[in-house]
Amino acid sequence: MMINDVMSLLMFVSFIGLIFTGFPVAWILGGLSIVFTAIAIILDIDLGFTIGVDWAYTSVAIDRMWDVMNNWVLVALPMFIFMGLMLDRSGVAADLMTNLVKLFGRVRGGLAITVTIIGVLLAAVTGIIGASVVLLAMLGLPVMLQHGYKKELAVGTVCAVGSLGILMPPSIMLVLMADRLAMSVGDLFLGAVFPGLLLSGLYIVYMLVYTRLRPNAAPVPDEIEPVDLALVMGVFKAVLPPAGLILAVLGSIFFGIATPTEAAGVGAFGATLLALVNRQLSMDVLRKVLRQTTTTTAFIFAIFMGATAYSLVLRGLGGDELIEGALLGLPFEPTGIIISILVFTFVLGFFLDWIEISLIVLPLVAPVVVNLGFDLVWFTVVFAVCLQTSFLTPPVGFAIFYLKGVAPPEIDVATIYRGVIPFIILQLVGLAIIFVWDDLATWLPQFTY
Amino acid sequence: MDPLSLTKSEAEQRRLPQTRLSLLISRGLDRVASVVSCIWVLLLLIIVVNVTARYVFGEGRIEFEEAQWHLYAMGFLLGLSICFDSDDHIRVDVIHDQLSLRAKAWIELYGLLLLFFPFVTLVLVFSIPFVQYSFTIGEISSAPGGLPYRWIIKSALFIGFALLAVAGIGRLSRVSACLFAVPRGAPNR
Repeated sequence: MMINDVMSLLMFVSFIGLIFTGFPVAWILGGLSIVFTAIAIILDIDLGFTIGVDWAYTSVAIDRMWDVMNNWVLVALPMFIFMGLMLDRSGVAADLMTNLVKLFGRVRGGLAITVTIIGVLLAAVTGIIGASVVLLAMLGLPVMLQHGYKKELAVGTVCAVGSLGILMPPSIMLVLMADRLAMSVGDLFLGAVFPGLLLSGLYIVYMLVYTRLRPNAAPVPDEIEPVDLALVMGVFKAVLPPAGLILAVLGSIFFGIATPTEAAGVGAFGATLLALVNRQLSMDVLRKVLRQTTTTTAFIFAIFMGATAYSLVLRGLGGDELIEGALLGLPFEPTGIIISILVFTFVLGFFLDWIEISLIVLPLVAPVVVNLGFDLVWFTVVFAVCLQTSFLTPPVGFAIFYLKGVAPPEIDVATIYRGVIPFIILQLVGLAIIFVWDDLATWLPQFTY
Repeated sequence: MDPLSLTKSEAEQRRLPQTRLSLLISRGLDRVASVVSCIWVLLLLIIVVNVTARYVFGEGRIEFEEAQWHLYAMGFLLGLSICFDSDDHIRVDVIHDQLSLRAKAWIELYGLLLLFFPFVTLVLVFSIPFVQYSFTIGEISSAPGGLPYRWIIKSALFIGFALLAVAGIGRLSRVSACLFAVPRGAPNR
């Protein structure tokens, strides 16, 4: 084995090892780039190995950081984050809950379906996977438990729908992935529309079938308001603003009216107006939303800065060729190689957030995928679904972790584990469908302007 | 609980003792945080104005488009230190949560000294010639009508990481107060 290969592997292994210390991921990445540059220099000077990494090489990280700074596409990130946080504070979610419950409450399993629809409509909230899980848990969990829903069904729904948000466009994860792979953000957004709808559709079908088979898992409330014009109008008034906002953002990208950055800015403005109209906007709310925008943006970009230096040094050590050689050397057909990548990603997703995986792993494997002749939009969408699934998976799914933090004490971890299992199966079914039927991801993007 | 304050940062902070220095730094960074908040508002307005202008006057202005990424870059770079100070940077806390305060403080000490500060130092050291060079050649935007004085935005990289280093020193003083009782913890406000 070449010394460079050993160094690359060590660099990767130390990263995985060190994150379990709980030290911030961003600085582990950045710090390791320094540590391994130093080791390479020592090996070079004292032992005479030629590694090809020294301070001059690692200082190129500054230019890479500058590329991130003057990147107009990434301006969309803080704006989408602001939009999501503002939408969260705008009272839109609570409005949706009260109105949709009245409409769907009469259907068996209706509350779970309501939570699913809200999750899809508020997918923009999910800059951080935790935010949507927490929002849905606070909003939907008490109502479902009050109405005698089986605990497993209630928590499973919240976890699954909450993690779905990182996939549904407009999603900041997709913005970041598109940027790293030099793809069009619009294409990726549109590529994820049908897969996202497919998954939420699968959830709803499951809820309907399951509650029909096990009626006591989801009792129908005794007193039901009749459906009248007032109720329909109420539902319409609650659904229209967030749905309109999301359609406006996606639509303006689709029809080429605005760039994703502009759409994000206008969306953020729209969310602020919604909050104003709902009388939820005050100086205090604005200040909190802005502060939260700062921290959320900063923790993403901190990892960005660290990962830039880390990837640079890893590449200098020859980590790229190592990965490519290893993947292409697998004794599988091209499809088998893709499946191996997905399995690897799935496992990494147990303990790494989407940010690190999109920044480090995705750029490493993407060239291999393109070499093998696969469509990059399709692959990225499949990759994203795979990542989202792994956040649901015990023992360390992020969604589970966040839910445990806000769920009432009578919900223990075992209940959550049991609750998410059916949804993991649904996810895998969805993944298989998108994998086999790639038109789901590639059909819509070809119509963009 | 507030759905937006996801982190356990406050509980965490209550446990690592504050020092006079760390309190001073936190207060300073609070000011920076208000500046960054204004940056986001400004960015939002510029985007909205630019989009509107494009439809009313037929074309957007290149200065406005450049101003957008200038503001965004300043926002996230200055944000690094604010996020650090409120301990909101992502940690994998599966094991971390089970550890005692002292164990966490030791991890923090080694992490800061062996990983965080070397990285920040690298960026600081190499961003100086980067800014200097831009200043000496009088670098301006290559786009017609673009913004001049490119060294100003380039120095945001240095400033952002310098503030991050300051925030790191604040944290270091708290870790040291916890482990070695030097400096002494400050009474809570």
